[in-house]
Amino acid sequence: MESKLIRLTVNGREEAVVADPLATLQDVLRDSLELTAVKSGCGQGGCGSCSVLVDGELRLSCLTLAERVEGAEITTLEGLNETNAIVPLQQAFVENYAAQCGYCTAGMVMAAKALLDRNPAPSRDEIVEGLSGNLCRCTGFAPIVRAVEQAARALSGEEAS
Amino acid sequence: MPELLRPGSVDEAAGLIGSHGAAAAVLAGGTSLLREIWPSDAGYLIAVDGLGLDRVEARDGGWSIGAAVPLRALREAVPIPALQAATREIGGPAVQNMATVGGNLFARAPFGDLAPALLALGADLVFASADGEATQPIDAFYAAWSDGAPPRAGLLIRIELDEPAGASAYLKCARRRYSTPSVVTVAACVETDGGTVSAARVALSGASAAPFRCGAAERAVIGSALDDAAMAAAAAAAEAAVTPATDPVATDWYRRRMAGVFVRRVLAQLA
Repeated sequence: MESKLIRLTVNGREEAVVADPLATLQDVLRDSLELTAVKSGCGQGGCGSCSVLVDGELRLSCLTLAERVEGAEITTLEGLNETNAIVPLQQAFVENYAAQCGYCTAGMVMAAKALLDRNPAPSRDEIVEGLSGNLCRCTGFAPIVRAVEQAARALSGEEAS
Repeated sequence: MPELLRPGSVDEAAGLIGSHGAAAAVLAGGTSLLREIWPSDAGYLIAVDGLGLDRVEARDGGWSIGAAVPLRALREAVPIPALQAATREIGGPAVQNMATVGGNLFARAPFGDLAPALLALGADLVFASADGEATQPIDAFYAAWSDGAPPRAGLLIRIELDEPAGASAYLKCARRRYSTPSVVTVAACVETDGGTVSAARVALSGASAAPFRCGAAERAVIGSALDDAAMAAAAAAAEAAVTPATDPVATDWYRRRMAGVFVRRVLAQLA
């Protein structure tokens, strides 16, 4: 099968990559663009470690064909901050020991960002539901939920000030 | 490896499905197909984005729901309790942003948790083929499944749903709270007249080869008050009617028991 040129907008940058027509967004982000915060977990849509934002909505890059998101704005963890400094949401993960092995963390942060962008003051139940597509096998989830609670408080505090 | 085809119109997509037959697979959200496609023998993936099938239109007395509407968009557009619950019970937020209404109706057990809600609500399915559009009640669509697989009926383009006359509810029995395949899922829509059930639709998925309406459970409650005795009779009727399978999620024995338990619970929400 012939490779083809795929044009993507990733973290605000126009990118052109040569890829197999059935290449997944995950393949292109990791292998062609070296955005390795996008993790390759189950490849089945069951773990959420490959989560990215497509036009601001949470998506699984492992189940998205790269060709079908041409023209969309794609955001990976690397694109949360132009200067590569960590953002308050990530800082909350650090302060709450919400990462152990780290494999799920980028996907968790992206899921939390999608949630907070839509609902800046979520209840605990809403946080649990917002993260329900992401699996962690180290932390037992409680520190991750606490991190998102703290981030929500910090973000709403910023808005109030 | 299959070839990705991107038709520019519904007619073109329906034509491709007609001409490629069993070698064609319809690619909508991709959450089922792309994880299954690699070992499958589909020769062609027919993408149905960009065909205008991703809109919900409110019409007089109901909704026309495009087959490629994502589950979350359905939840935000159609305020029916059974649908609201069903769309929360399928995958996590990312899957709900991607997976489509139409795609979920073709998912095979133990997936496909939207079906009982639309069965209980009496939806109609509209298919496009070379012969034009054809409308089929959702019960008839699932009755035509064989060996847990759908018949080839053309391209599902939309779901027509009338505002339900009664109250509806939906419950999923699963091993975890979220983002997990079902043991069974159950939905019901019940109309009452002066304390007596005048009409009822009760539907299950995961409990038989295909989702289905359980007429025996419906007859158990129609004509009586929705009381403990009627709900117990409906539960017993559902247990007797299902033909569940054993898979890594649950045994047939457990699925049968939970079919009864969850029929009773879903009716209790409406009592």
